[in-house]
Amino acid sequence: MSEPADDPQSSRPSLALGPSERLRRLYALVAVALGAAVVALLLLTSDAGYARDEGFYFYAAKRYGEWFVLLVRDRGEALRRAAIDAHFVVNHEHPALAKSLFAVSHLADRRLGLFAEPGTAFRFPAMVLAGVMTAITFHWGVRARGAVTGVVAALSLIFMPRVFFHAHLACFDVPITALFVATFYAYDRTLKSSGWLWPALTGLSFGLALSTKHNSWFLPIAFAAHASLLALMAWRSRQSLRTTLRRPLAALLTMATIGPLVLFATWPWLWFDTWARLKEYASFHVNHEYYNMEFLGENYWKPPFPRGYAPLMTVATVPLVTLVAAAFGTAALGRDALRDLRAREPEVAAEHATLVLWALGVAVSYGPWLSSGTPIFGGTKHWMTAYPFLALFAGAGVERAASVIREELELVGAAGVGRVVAPACVVLALASPVFQSLAAHPWGLSAYTPIVGGAPGAASLGLNRTFWGYTTGSLTDTLNRELPPGGRVYPHDTAGASWEMLQRDGRLRKDLRAVGRADDADVALYHHELHMQGQEYQAWVAYGTVQPVVVSGLDGVPVVWAYKRRRP
Amino acid sequence: MKPRLAWAFALVPLVGAVELALALSARGAAPQPAAYDALEPALREVYREGDLVVVAPRWAEPHVRRALGDRYFPLAALARSDEARFERALEISVSGGRAPELAGFRQVAERSVGPFVVRTLENPSPARVVFDFVERLEPGWASVGGTEPETRCAWSERSQPMTGGLGGHPGFPARRFECPDGPYLNVSATVIADQRFMPRRCIWAHPTKRGARTIRFSGVPLGARIAGHSGMYWMIERAGAGAPVELEVRVDGELVGVERHADGEGWKPFAFELGSHAGKATSTVEFLVSASDYKDRHFCFQADTR
Repeated sequence: MSEPADDPQSSRPSLALGPSERLRRLYALVAVALGAAVVALLLLTSDAGYARDEGFYFYAAKRYGEWFVLLVRDRGEALRRAAIDAHFVVNHEHPALAKSLFAVSHLADRRLGLFAEPGTAFRFPAMVLAGVMTAITFHWGVRARGAVTGVVAALSLIFMPRVFFHAHLACFDVPITALFVATFYAYDRTLKSSGWLWPALTGLSFGLALSTKHNSWFLPIAFAAHASLLALMAWRSRQSLRTTLRRPLAALLTMATIGPLVLFATWPWLWFDTWARLKEYASFHVNHEYYNMEFLGENYWKPPFPRGYAPLMTVATVPLVTLVAAAFGTAALGRDALRDLRAREPEVAAEHATLVLWALGVAVSYGPWLSSGTPIFGGTKHWMTAYPFLALFAGAGVERAASVIREELELVGAAGVGRVVAPACVVLALASPVFQSLAAHPWGLSAYTPIVGGAPGAASLGLNRTFWGYTTGSLTDTLNRELPPGGRVYPHDTAGASWEMLQRDGRLRKDLRAVGRADDADVALYHHELHMQGQEYQAWVAYGTVQPVVVSGLDGVPVVWAYKRRRP
Repeated sequence: MKPRLAWAFALVPLVGAVELALALSARGAAPQPAAYDALEPALREVYREGDLVVVAPRWAEPHVRRALGDRYFPLAALARSDEARFERALEISVSGGRAPELAGFRQVAERSVGPFVVRTLENPSPARVVFDFVERLEPGWASVGGTEPETRCAWSERSQPMTGGLGGHPGFPARRFECPDGPYLNVSATVIADQRFMPRRCIWAHPTKRGARTIRFSGVPLGARIAGHSGMYWMIERAGAGAPVELEVRVDGELVGVERHADGEGWKPFAFELGSHAGKATSTVEFLVSASDYKDRHFCFQADTR
């Protein structure tokens, strides 16, 4: 999977389908167009309610935004410790980059009126990063294996139903996935180029990832492992270790220097008591509190967590065709690499560096869940950083499948059909993921693949139906219709700021009030989670009824419902 | 590449086609909410007061409750501790679901209603409940107090219902015994979530700081035993941080049994044989609840005599 045009030292014919310069420019344009199309699609489908964590980030972004305004108006005052601490103490268990982008977008919207709903302004930067993630995945796939790989990889990624859902949110999961794959990509380009541009971009991207979410801590581990494996391959093929390791070490050097600088520069909270605050940040995530998560009918809330959680949930939520294609892609590319390794091909390290990198992208993302002590409360988003690489392997699998089928058809004298094989394979690889993602929206956290029977099958199996309380957004019509002026609602798991954003958007009547207990409300909402059922029972007793006024959900499976107080 | 192996790659597009077909069909696999409205007229024909209505799979139950209403789902049945007391059950089967808890019942009728199957089932050996203490927690039958200091709790028909919100106490209904220790230490019929988060109808009887909470029932007809369950809201109990709670049961002043509930035991059954008291037409039954440390003891018990 090398790129001959970038690799002047390569003397043997490449296994890759390296595009010409003209095609490369075209692919770069297609990548940008694809990214833009993804952002447009996300904007058009931005009707999901607001997740619990989004509420916290809205508040943090508003505080950070106030500091940005202060910075413009009175730089001296803004740079005083008191001002920085007062603004950035909010949600300081997470770095500031994503929230700062949400803040800038929010400020721009306030000034320019860019978006129909204020909530979309906060969400927009994450949507843009979803577009960036898709574009990079496409571009990497094209460069490594050709157009089929690029198209299938990019669209398989964004149309994983859970990824598609998370791509709408003002959260960190898709932003870190975008920056994770961007750093991998920059590192890969470093290996295949000379000069300091790509190493510098690797360091910069790593810094931005560090400033987004702690998944970034695994990037140096992945690249150190990659350099070690390349060294082993070079040793096996009797190549110079020094030559092999020169570029990986250049990338690791910039990551060690530029990365922390970017983190420091983009997170003002670290500008004072730096070491103590870094320790506090690391400690928060290393010793993270455990929350509840249902898996196969059991509620897990403390270790040991089931080691089968990550693999089974991947199978249950990533379209099967993507997984099968990824398995074929991995097997085919792995087989090529082993063949070259056994033959001690001189360029084996350079030739298969990208394959090893993709494999490490998957490995380091899933690795923490080999331990039964790693929390599972966030569901599949925990290992979402693996998905670009899974998608790239899927793209390679479809590309190889199309190629092999075409050859076989030629062998049996059906060469005429060969022309439609690749397009047919692409369509068949993407149709199911696209359908599943769009059909599940906006119930993304309730989406399960047909292999477990979809949402109904997952409910019967006892897989988590929803979390984060975002499905209040699906009951706004009922609430607007059913409640009297000044009506009070117990929104259950929906955070206060998420509720308020629905009102600011105009989706929810502004006279309605969210209250903290069902007994204080006219209507009590219930977002179904196994461990939350006591909330529903509270409403039964307080309201004297077990009859919901509305039940809403995905494919006939109840996800959120509401009880209305009986008037005496 | 050998041809046979090469053709294995055809699995990739094939899986895509099959998965798309499955995804399309899965969308309609379960009935949509409006379909449940057809159930009420059908249930009205077969339902008898005291029947247990069960929905299988259980996840479809909210749809059925919305469509049928409270008449078919009294809390005593919906938040039951066992099925043995029910003579008949109506099983509403959605997408072929069966209720495992009704496995011992005998099917006597079956009817299709749109996408649903309604089965009438009979219990071959129903337990005869002589007196249900949870359902009789009201003046006329019950009086409530404390021992240290000696207090009496007043019955209220129209208290403000109370709920604990996220992580808080269970719901307290408007009809309850209000005790001088404060509203939180009331005695009322509530519903808690057990260790499997199943609803359990029970008497909320939080221990008092000192002495015991007493719940006295008068004029009680007795069966052969007093049986029931004890537990706490699971989110409290699972932490394993609280003192054990003791439930003493006395009949006409005589101690017939003590149930000791430790954190982590979940919804735990108990049964006390009544010996010479068995079969009495009228008696006084007292429940005394105490703990060495009353902090966060969300104790709740269900009891009947059968």
